[in-house]
Amino acid sequence: MTEQTSSATPMIKATAVNKHFGDLHVLKDINFEVPRGQVVVVLGPSGSGKSTLCRAINRLEPIDSGTIEVDGQPLPAEGRALAQLRADVGMVFQSFNLFAHKTILDNITLAPMKVRKQDKATARKTAMELLERVGIANQANKYPAQLSGGQQQRAAIARALAMKPKVMMFDEPTSALDPEMVQEVLDVMTTLAREGMTMFVVTHEMGFARKAANRVMFMADGEIVEDTTPDDFFTNPKSARAKDFLGKILTH
Amino acid sequence: MFDFLDKPLYAEYGGILGAFWVTIQLTFFSAIGSLIWGTVLAAMRVGPVPIMRWFATAYVNIVRNVPLTVIIVGSSVVLADQLLWTLGGSDTREISFRLAVLGFTLYTSCFVCESLRSGINTVPIGQAEAARALGLTFFQVLRIVVLPQAFRSVVAPLASVLIALTKNTTVTAAIAGIEAAALMAAMIERESDKVLLVFGIFAVGFVILTLPMGMFLGWVAKKVSVKR
Amino acid sequence: MSQQASVLYDAPGPRAKQRNAIYTVLFVAALALAAWWFISELDARNQLEAESWTPLLEAGVWTDFFIPGLLNTLQAAFLSILIALPIGALLGIARLSEHAWIRWPAAVWVEFFRATPVLILMLFSRELYRMAGVDSEILPLYAVVTGLVLYNGSVLAEVVRAGILSLPRGQSEAADALGMRRSQVMTSVLLPQAVTAMLPAIVSQLVVIVKDTAIGGAVVRFEEVIAQLRPLPTSDYRPSVIATLTAIAIIFIILNFILTAFANWLERWLRRRKKGTGAVVTTDMVEEQAPGVRLEDTEADVAGRKDDG
Repeated sequence: MTEQTSSATPMIKATAVNKHFGDLHVLKDINFEVPRGQVVVVLGPSGSGKSTLCRAINRLEPIDSGTIEVDGQPLPAEGRALAQLRADVGMVFQSFNLFAHKTILDNITLAPMKVRKQDKATARKTAMELLERVGIANQANKYPAQLSGGQQQRAAIARALAMKPKVMMFDEPTSALDPEMVQEVLDVMTTLAREGMTMFVVTHEMGFARKAANRVMFMADGEIVEDTTPDDFFTNPKSARAKDFLGKILTH
Repeated sequence: MFDFLDKPLYAEYGGILGAFWVTIQLTFFSAIGSLIWGTVLAAMRVGPVPIMRWFATAYVNIVRNVPLTVIIVGSSVVLADQLLWTLGGSDTREISFRLAVLGFTLYTSCFVCESLRSGINTVPIGQAEAARALGLTFFQVLRIVVLPQAFRSVVAPLASVLIALTKNTTVTAAIAGIEAAALMAAMIERESDKVLLVFGIFAVGFVILTLPMGMFLGWVAKKVSVKR
Repeated sequence: MSQQASVLYDAPGPRAKQRNAIYTVLFVAALALAAWWFISELDARNQLEAESWTPLLEAGVWTDFFIPGLLNTLQAAFLSILIALPIGALLGIARLSEHAWIRWPAAVWVEFFRATPVLILMLFSRELYRMAGVDSEILPLYAVVTGLVLYNGSVLAEVVRAGILSLPRGQSEAADALGMRRSQVMTSVLLPQAVTAMLPAIVSQLVVIVKDTAIGGAVVRFEEVIAQLRPLPTSDYRPSVIATLTAIAIIFIILNFILTAFANWLERWLRRRKKGTGAVVTTDMVEEQAPGVRLEDTEADVAGRKDDG
């Protein structure tokens, strides 16, 4: 196997991916590539398989058939190789999932020290820079339960960034937030997008899709129904399902 | 008032203190045994191998529905009298002690297992996923994220199990006259003019054994609990 | 085979699946070995002969021994919980009182009887009744029920307290706001709802009580199920001791399975139904409860509190 990291290699490549939950066919023959530096927003009604797809990319959900490659490397099935790949793929969850028994700072320095074998001082320095960047440096020594949802999610983004990932996955990062906290998280994500991070974002935030995305994938019933630019998608949806979806979203 | 305690009749128990000392020893060895066997059961119950999960689940659900008395009496009349097991003990007293420890271990480990399992289940699966997504290996996830949090939430239930075990050791009185409850049974029938005093001595003995332990471990549990 | 990820494990890959298959084979082999060893142990002492076990199939064994024993067990258990419930309710409410002179004695009572082994309580009550001249026929039942009531009254006091605390705070605030007195709030708003929330826990406690009646059989000669171990093997039927004890264990297992299933069903039913706050004191909160440890510390969360608001 040759180590390919040239800019021509797509960051994520999914080929003929299928997955079932029991009788339910949640991912139906999914094929796509995400080039380096692209910001992809995945839209779709709930139950369309978009979260499952997001989680499949670092094998939090195993797939039944097909292949997923990250930066030219096929996704390993288990063990240390899988852990190493996951270290390069940042992931932000809907429910933040900060480690409840560790402070915000310890949450962020944990993986760089344990996985990347950084020394404590370096890890702390990077962590504080990242917390500064997401605007919660003053919360560094608090525990997750002491922070608001928006602050917790920004901490979770900092935690993922501390691993210097090649790509960032966001699984509905604002869905569990109170409305007044959504924007502070989207701002952090928008900045990240401008800085050239490759991002794969599952969300319901149309504003973010318009403003920060290079590309919109619209999923329904386990299929990618449309795959186009945000402009094109919002002004000129082709499929009936996308029209229906947009109709419901925009009337609210 | 306390003269009756010196009767030679009670000497084989080593007096009140001697009897309570046996209670403490029964509790101690049974606790160690239950912790080991209970941990093994819990590991099987949360493990990835279906047959082990099935076995541990069946074991826990069956054994904890059998009265402890049946288990202790069984260890005596079945294992000692019928199968002639001695567990390496040389006299009746020693054999009874060891069989009782075996019985308490088999029974109490069910509750240890359930406490550990529920402790592990209090850790939200999302945190384990986040840890895996950061590239932590199985043992790192276990050591850094799951066990520290699970440990904090098992202190209180394990304390309850330990205290219940301390009180349960009295069931040994059903098979052997070696510990506190057996001594009380012997005394209360003979000292009919001091019934309240005899009861008071033994009840207070158990309060002294269990209450401070419960309050201390309850305090520890509160101290280490994770805010969610 | 389960393909699901858990809090401990990733969904298994091919190597993990292979490893699990090997564990399965080894474990089954170990189990079979242990079973074979125990059976040969029994065989060596001639415990597997048919005549040791077949008497259990005779009707007389059941009508003369096990069923009367089981009826005594059930009688003692139900009497105990019926008497312990009002005592527990009183003690539980007393522990929530605003007045320290009510709260403290109740706390001391509850902690004392939770810390004292049931067996000791039974021995003590037997002597008291004997001194009071209670008929020796009925003495064991009195002793067993008294011991169980003293202990379980205190355990149920904690269940009642947890039940009341499990109700959404809004319930008592709303009652306060309507100008009801403390005692009115307790008796007409909190207690009725708490009792419903506690039903599953009460049924589960019945399992503990049923198991504890066996102590009475062993130490105060109460003629319940396990007490049949003495007369039965020497009766005309002559089942072996091991066979008799096996039957006794199975009787208890079945009885307790039924009670546990009923408690679980009650719990699900209470959670599902629309009426009420949905607050439930869960069943596993009661097992092995210890003195000094408060129910709400044991993280077996008081459901309903979380849904509050």
